[in-house]
Amino acid sequence: MEQTQIKKVNGLYLVLYILLPIVISAVCMLISVLFFPKGTGAVILIMGPIMISFIWWVVGGKTIFSNTFKKFETELDQQGFVRNHTFRSNGCNVIVDVVNGGIAVLFFWNPFDKYVLPASRITRIWVEDGKTGSGILEGSSRVSFLMEIDGRIKIRVNTFTSNKLWRMDSDYILTGISKADMMAQALQTAKNKSMGI
Amino acid sequence: MGLFKKIQGFFHDDWCSKCQSEMHENLRQLYALPVMVDQYEHQEEVEYFTGRMQKVGSKAEIPSGMYACDVVAYQCPACGYKVVKLTVFLPVRDQEKFEDVYFFEKGELDRFLWGN
Repeated sequence: MEQTQIKKVNGLYLVLYILLPIVISAVCMLISVLFFPKGTGAVILIMGPIMISFIWWVVGGKTIFSNTFKKFETELDQQGFVRNHTFRSNGCNVIVDVVNGGIAVLFFWNPFDKYVLPASRITRIWVEDGKTGSGILEGSSRVSFLMEIDGRIKIRVNTFTSNKLWRMDSDYILTGISKADMMAQALQTAKNKSMGI
Repeated sequence: MGLFKKIQGFFHDDWCSKCQSEMHENLRQLYALPVMVDQYEHQEEVEYFTGRMQKVGSKAEIPSGMYACDVVAYQCPACGYKVVKLTVFLPVRDQEKFEDVYFFEKGELDRFLWGN
């Protein structure tokens, strides 16, 4: 059976997501300069697309990702995929089926390709607590669990991120580690099930 | 939960609140609380715990991401006052993330702990 190749980023989607609003804003600005240099028409043609572009960049991707994920969950239920553990993060969402040994993954930058894989394709599972520094400067700003598919593709799922460095015994870091450990354990159980161990 | 009770939970939890004598520890037991990380909320009903807690021998038996309850039953030798302290925490590797502490003074957990 041919194995599904995993693509974390859809280049066309990424480019269109960023550049399309800029192109539309530029075209509207050009139309305004050529045909409506003053008045309400100019305000609408110049400010409207710019404002809509910002709203699109802030909520557009999240909305697409969230709606696609909801549909994905429904499809999985229809396929008999048991959603034992679901983890949502900014970069990708992961669902683990411990009963049948499967995983389902949806990437933020590739929301149109929905991946359902046997957990046996996971070659490595680990947790990174992001610990840096030493002594009083010791801390972390990111905790994640990672899995490697087919020994080539590394998927990182953040359970905690911050723009600050937090002590390793802070509630945020401990919660992040706990979630990451829980998901790593679930993935390992699914992998064992998939491999018949 | 009041600040005083929280402080009391950390310090001198084995002192009698009536006569300040040192209390005896009648029972200490660890339980798993099958609630996953981030899903625990402060509870008012004792049935929440009695209906969920499962006795375990050590923290190692509790799966990652699941809460634990440390239950200690005290009795004052001087005045006979009894209290059960229930501490909810999240075991994370070799550390513990404290969540909540409850004091049961009216025997609410007696049936669960001793079966009478």
